[in-house]
Amino acid sequence: MDNRDSPSKMPTVEWMESEVAKAVPDAEQIVVVDLTGGQDHFHVRVVSVTFDGMRPLPRQRILLGHFRDYIPNVIHAIDLKCLTPEQAAADDGEVFHPHPNRRSDAELVGINIRSKEEI
Amino acid sequence: MMSDFEWQPKQLDELVGKNSIVLFMKGTPETPQCGFSNRAAQVLQSLGQPFVSVDILSDPRAIPAVCEWSDFPTMPQIFVNGELIGGSDIALEMYESGELQEMLAEGDDKSED
Repeated sequence: MDNRDSPSKMPTVEWMESEVAKAVPDAEQIVVVDLTGGQDHFHVRVVSVTFDGMRPLPRQRILLGHFRDYIPNVIHAIDLKCLTPEQAAADDGEVFHPHPNRRSDAELVGINIRSKEEI
Repeated sequence: MMSDFEWQPKQLDELVGKNSIVLFMKGTPETPQCGFSNRAAQVLQSLGQPFVSVDILSDPRAIPAVCEWSDFPTMPQIFVNGELIGGSDIALEMYESGELQEMLAEGDDKSED
C-alpha cells in the first residue's frame, strides 16, 4: 500500500506534517520545522506509543522509508526526534539548526552537547 | 592508503569491523562542511576516545556507495561496533541518554574476551 502524496513543488511544512501523520498514524504530536526557510532541511518531532520498546534507528526507518523517494534529492536533510510519550515529557523541545548563519564559518562551533549527568 | 579504497561493501564492512567507532561525514572533524556532520563529530569527540572519520566529499563515489551499503539516505552516518546507529540526531540522543557509552563499554568487554 502506498498512500504517499507527491509534493507539487517543494515540500511545505503542511505537506510534511500530513505525510508524517500517514507514516505514524497514532502520533499524538507532530512538529515540523523548516530549518533554513529553503523547504529542503526539516526538523521533525514525532511523539507516539508506536516507538515504545524500539531502538532509535528502527524508529527513524519508519519515517525514512515513507520519505524514501524524496531523500536526499528533494529533502536534503531531515533531523528527527522520534519520542515515546514518556521521553517527550522529559524533552526540552530544542531544535537543532545546522546553518544558523550561512555567511559565517562560526556556525560550525559551539553546539550544545550535554552529558548524561547534566540532564 | 585510501587511494585504493573503492567503497566496495566488503571494504566498508572491513572498515567498520576493524574500528569500534567510524564516522562518515562531510569534511573532517576539524573542518566540517555541514552542521549535522559537525554535530556528529562533536558528539564523538565528547566520548574521549579515538574514532575514524571518513570524508565522503573526498570522492564522488562515496555518498551513493555508502548510502546503498548502509541503506541509510543521509550523511553523516555513525557506526559503533560495526553497527549503524544512525545520523547525528541519534548519536546525540544516545550520547545524552548514556546508551552510546554503554554500547562502547560492551564492545570493549567483547574484545577483551
